[in-house]
Amino acid sequence: MNIGILSKRTTMMTGKIKDYFENEGYNVSIFTLENLAINESLFNNDFYILKSKSLFFIYAGYYLEANDIPVIPDPHISFKQKNRIASHSLLKSIGFLAPDIYLGTLEIFKDRLQSKDFPLILKPIMGSGSRGVRIIESIEDLNNGNNKILYLEKYIEGIHLNVYFIDDVICTLVKAPLANEHTDMEKIKTPNDIKKLINKWKNYFNGKVLFGHLDLIREHNSNRLFTVDVGTFPEFSQWQIDNISPVKTICDLILKQVRKYHNH
Amino acid sequence: MKKVGIIIDNYHLSYKVTDFLEYLRSLAEVNFYIEESYLLKSSELKFDEDIFFVKAKGTLILGLVKLIEEQTSIPVINSYKAIWLAVNRFLNSTYLKKAGIPVPDFSLSPEGLLPPFNDFIIKNIVDQRNYKFNPIINQQNSHFKIADKRALDEVDGTDIKYKYLYYQKFIKSEWEYKIYGIGENVYFYKQLPILINPNKLESRQEINEIPELKEYCYKAMEVMDLKVTSLDFLRSSDNQFFLTDINCTPNFNYMKDGHKIVADFLLEQAKR
Repeated sequence: MNIGILSKRTTMMTGKIKDYFENEGYNVSIFTLENLAINESLFNNDFYILKSKSLFFIYAGYYLEANDIPVIPDPHISFKQKNRIASHSLLKSIGFLAPDIYLGTLEIFKDRLQSKDFPLILKPIMGSGSRGVRIIESIEDLNNGNNKILYLEKYIEGIHLNVYFIDDVICTLVKAPLANEHTDMEKIKTPNDIKKLINKWKNYFNGKVLFGHLDLIREHNSNRLFTVDVGTFPEFSQWQIDNISPVKTICDLILKQVRKYHNH
Repeated sequence: MKKVGIIIDNYHLSYKVTDFLEYLRSLAEVNFYIEESYLLKSSELKFDEDIFFVKAKGTLILGLVKLIEEQTSIPVINSYKAIWLAVNRFLNSTYLKKAGIPVPDFSLSPEGLLPPFNDFIIKNIVDQRNYKFNPIINQQNSHFKIADKRALDEVDGTDIKYKYLYYQKFIKSEWEYKIYGIGENVYFYKQLPILINPNKLESRQEINEIPELKEYCYKAMEVMDLKVTSLDFLRSSDNQFFLTDINCTPNFNYMKDGHKIVADFLLEQAKR
């Protein structure tokens, strides 16, 4: 069987997945933004792993899926998690708490935002993780003057949590505010409300989401959980459950999903 | 009196909807949501319109449409799905082809990697801004290699967005067929292709219905959830039509009584 991986890198998790599948006897090709041409040449592989969520990988995912080639994770779900507006709508439609969002130009923000609106967080509209994300304490912190539409979220004061899940196993970690996945985190016992949240998340997608992560904030004042970021395919670099290997478990889950697809 | 929300940007408001608004205002109350001067706050979205009409395709517009659709039952023409697919050229080519509508072969490739066909036109990948097609034409060894300057600027200009190019196989055609779909009604025109005469209106003429194109128009509107659209077709030397462009914010001023047709359609679709 030939497997394609759509990924911005060839190393880290992508490299490990490639090694795992090759050791199992599969042929694996990695497509990065340097060599990915989205046309019929992609039909040589039996299925694809959508490791990265850059727009072109998601385009490739849509294209392959439209041509009956399985793509895991589902590109539609990945897109909803990549586009912040779609992601906000998705969280609301599942019934999750999500911070209020603001869209407008710098001029409009200067004119209309009030001191009670701050602090806010500036985020790229297309993106996930912490790249390009910063806290905006006052209007002076906003300095993008080229009339672009900016995306801001209400900043929630609280404990920041990175919650990984692979199949039914959850790993909950406390992290520094706005820290990326690769910084040190402290593992804690997963509270019941987080277990329920993860189950609700997985159930919403009806078996199509096998693994992923949610970035949560437990609000200081209310103890409520806000979902501030979601991801279909993290690096799992802070996974701290000893008897479960993320690479092996994820690869096995992917194969199971592909078999299910072919049986249908 | 019905209330119509117009979701628009400054460009369309200034240049494209004068007659439409004059006519619409004689029949309905009109509210404006203008991309450049609107503050979207998800916690304060309250609307009492009976219908929204979208005449722009920028980022804030898409966000607003998405939130209106998810938080209200007010009809929005065109929908988020329709706009999103229309502005993403590669996606609409993919889905139109899957639906059986003939589109020219296409490829999305990193800069420097040529597509698997010799005659092509390079078009912008995400068609969200308001600007004109600006062709750069090269003919080498009887092969046509045409590029829209704005597509090249996106990979090589001052505002580099990505390193990808969308290639569409070039179809040589005597005429370009411009089809408007407004609800159930389809209107047929033809004009010389813009590469032959950039002044498209000079040669534009209304033509009789072409059943094949009508069928493709309905199918494309269904696949992309478009209620108001224009489609461009070219006809190859072996008489096959190819859909080359699809638009979610058509310039209906080029149709006879276009502004009235669209306004009347909107009011028919309003929720009360």
